[in-house]
Amino acid sequence: MLKLGLAIVTGLLGAALLHFIIILSLPYFSEKDAYTRVLAEGERHSFHRLPDIRDRAGLVQDDPFVELSVCAYDISQGPIRIYARGDVPFWSLGIYDAGSNEVFSINDRTASNGVLDVVLATPVQLTLLRKALPEPISEAILVETQQADGYMVLRTMVPQRSFNAAATEFLSQAVCAPFDWRPRQQF
Amino acid sequence: MFRVPFLVAIALAIAFGGGIWSTLRALEATAGFGAIRLGAWEAFPNAQTAAADPYAKSHRASAGALLYATAEGLQFTANVDDSGAALRGDCSYRISGHTPPTRLWTLHSVRTETMRKAEDAGLPVALNSRAILRHADGSFEIEVSADAKPGNWLAVPGDRRLRLRLTLLDTPAAGSSGLIDLSMPSIQQTGCRDA
Repeated sequence: MLKLGLAIVTGLLGAALLHFIIILSLPYFSEKDAYTRVLAEGERHSFHRLPDIRDRAGLVQDDPFVELSVCAYDISQGPIRIYARGDVPFWSLGIYDAGSNEVFSINDRTASNGVLDVVLATPVQLTLLRKALPEPISEAILVETQQADGYMVLRTMVPQRSFNAAATEFLSQAVCAPFDWRPRQQF
Repeated sequence: MFRVPFLVAIALAIAFGGGIWSTLRALEATAGFGAIRLGAWEAFPNAQTAAADPYAKSHRASAGALLYATAEGLQFTANVDDSGAALRGDCSYRISGHTPPTRLWTLHSVRTETMRKAEDAGLPVALNSRAILRHADGSFEIEVSADAKPGNWLAVPGDRRLRLRLTLLDTPAAGSSGLIDLSMPSIQQTGCRDA
């Protein structure tokens, strides 16, 4: 009887241990996390609009009034620029690293003139960028991130059906792509 | 003579069975610690940050939802009414009061396939701050019901448990840790259909 009790206690201790091991390691093994799903949407460095019925990647527009696009990025080769403008009642951008931790977020009121213009770069790239600061991005917000890959979500609100066209235009012309950032070599 | 292998088998069965079961339960039951609860409403303002607890990180890794970042907004979910009873589709509820300070908000029940059919049928399955009727002081009353109601009516599927989601867009509530006084609208049951 005592031995049976001991076996049960050992089992419970093992269960607790296993519980914590799974909880702590799940983020590193999960294949259902947001980054994997965004990657499954399509190629990197372009925004993909989410449909209102769950797609094969498992992402969906879950709020009827909020239209959204996602874009996966990898800045190990060079920084990317995120740019969008349009006449919409609300937009917001959230940038996340591959572990779905928030890196940066902005909305139309916190952006200057309501224009989305963000450059995402690693610390080394940012040092070079600040030195040269090419003309096209002199107005952009420079965001530094340690991790080279991740994803971003661009949302805009459609409070009434008549705002649909503006939202579609805003999301379809939004860019998240590498740009010409190195100063041209002088020969 | 098989006592020792038997005991080892019991210990292993409890360890693996219990460990996996408790983990699945924990991931299903909650999105982590650090919730703010205001009446029936619940939100996780830090779930998307690097400072989130291991349970929140594990939950978001397995749920794979696109969370709202700090400058974007804050999502509140209600599974129960103010008295603590579970929300049901065959009952009617009145949501009344104010939201915390926010630029815009949207309210809908968590979407299902039936809801999409209702949406196609032109029923008001979602409401937002720009398109509702308010009292002179800015407060509002919303009737949540499967049957048509006068005033602000939120149509819900009538046959299942309900989850209501109130999304505040661009709100100072997302960045606060209880420093500002937040008040959420109350949810009161107004009656149920006969079974």
